[in-house]
Amino acid sequence: MRRRWTDLSDFEAFLDKGGIVEADDDMPDAYRQEVFRFIEMHANSELMGGLTERDWIPRTPGLRHKMAVLAKTQDEIGHGHLLYMVAADLGVKTRAEMLEDLFAGKSRFHNVFHYRAVTWGDQIAIAFLVDAAALATQQAVFKNCSYGPYRRILKRIITEEGFHMRFGEERVLRVAEGTEFQRAMFQDSLDRWWWPAMQLFGPDSKPDDVLMRWHIKSERNEVLRDRWVQKFVPLLHGYGFTIPDPDLAWDEEAGRWSIGEIDWEPLKRTLRQGGPDSARRIGEAAANWSETRWVREALDRVAEQREAA
Amino acid sequence: MRIYEVFLKRPGRDEFRHAGSIEAADDELALVLARENYARRAEGDRLWLVDRDNLVVGDGEFVAPNADKPHRHNDGSRVAERRQRLREENA
Ligand SMILES: [Fe+2]
Ligand SMILES: [Fe+2]
Repeated sequence: MRRRWTDLSDFEAFLDKGGIVEADDDMPDAYRQEVFRFIEMHANSELMGGLTERDWIPRTPGLRHKMAVLAKTQDEIGHGHLLYMVAADLGVKTRAEMLEDLFAGKSRFHNVFHYRAVTWGDQIAIAFLVDAAALATQQAVFKNCSYGPYRRILKRIITEEGFHMRFGEERVLRVAEGTEFQRAMFQDSLDRWWWPAMQLFGPDSKPDDVLMRWHIKSERNEVLRDRWVQKFVPLLHGYGFTIPDPDLAWDEEAGRWSIGEIDWEPLKRTLRQGGPDSARRIGEAAANWSETRWVREALDRVAEQREAA
Repeated sequence: MRIYEVFLKRPGRDEFRHAGSIEAADDELALVLARENYARRAEGDRLWLVDRDNLVVGDGEFVAPNADKPHRHNDGSRVAERRQRLREENA
């Protein structure tokens, strides 16, 4: 007998008491769709992030960091892999359908992967700012997520994102203590990546956000963003970098940093696949997918032979 | 393609734990994928893979009824109460 609930309010009461939903439960369809959409977007973002990382393996300076970028690429592709398994178990789309939608430009992935990483400074900014922002949002889901399989897999993902973030921190330290050229390179990257990282958290959460109501997320977007700002502003200032926000100000009374207004147009464009690098990225990923068709076909034949044996 | 449930055992005394699942064409490839997805940093030294179709599942309704059998436990509180009383009397 699959677990079932009489109606949505019965289900919500179960969630409010800290109930954990499992893949074989007869969950309300609206919840299934919402969890699926959330995990699918996370999986897509891991995969697209992994592909960016891969592009940097040959260009990363220094053997130690090159090996770390190789490891990070494996991590991100691995995260995508695990998340697609969890998403597919919800029975909304198969893994192949999710990938095909992604490569056809029909699916969403994080805004930051719609921009091009041009310099090594950009890669540092991604590892330092973006991995940290993504990690903060993942931790807020992990803390109290009502969907069991997602929460369990997040534990592993979060541990590994921690390695990425610490490599980012180390690289920032290295350029901060480096030459004028290195400092200027990172400042230029910071100028371009600061706002996309802020937008990654999403617009302020609506009061009736179902992701909050169903205990998928446990913290509001603006709360996570603010915590990140309070942490990163002093860190970056401490290294002697400036933040590209003319309205950034220290509020003496509140004892915290307040930021200028966020322009949401760039985020909206990325959601429509209209970011500065969306077309190239999706196109390359789609080309990889079709070039590797022969591998999938070979694997299918292995599976057929096994069934026949 | 088949879906395998992956169980990983950390070195030492810990038990096997469910780590997640993977999809693979056969057992050999499944092992490689499981290692590369779940043990990249030596998180374990043993893997069990189970074809999902072969899992025998007991659901909550079948497994959980035993939550209402306090006579199968003893928390030692009666004896502890007496000890406490004796300590207070002798103090
Ligand atoms: Fe990741
Ligand atoms: Fe990462």
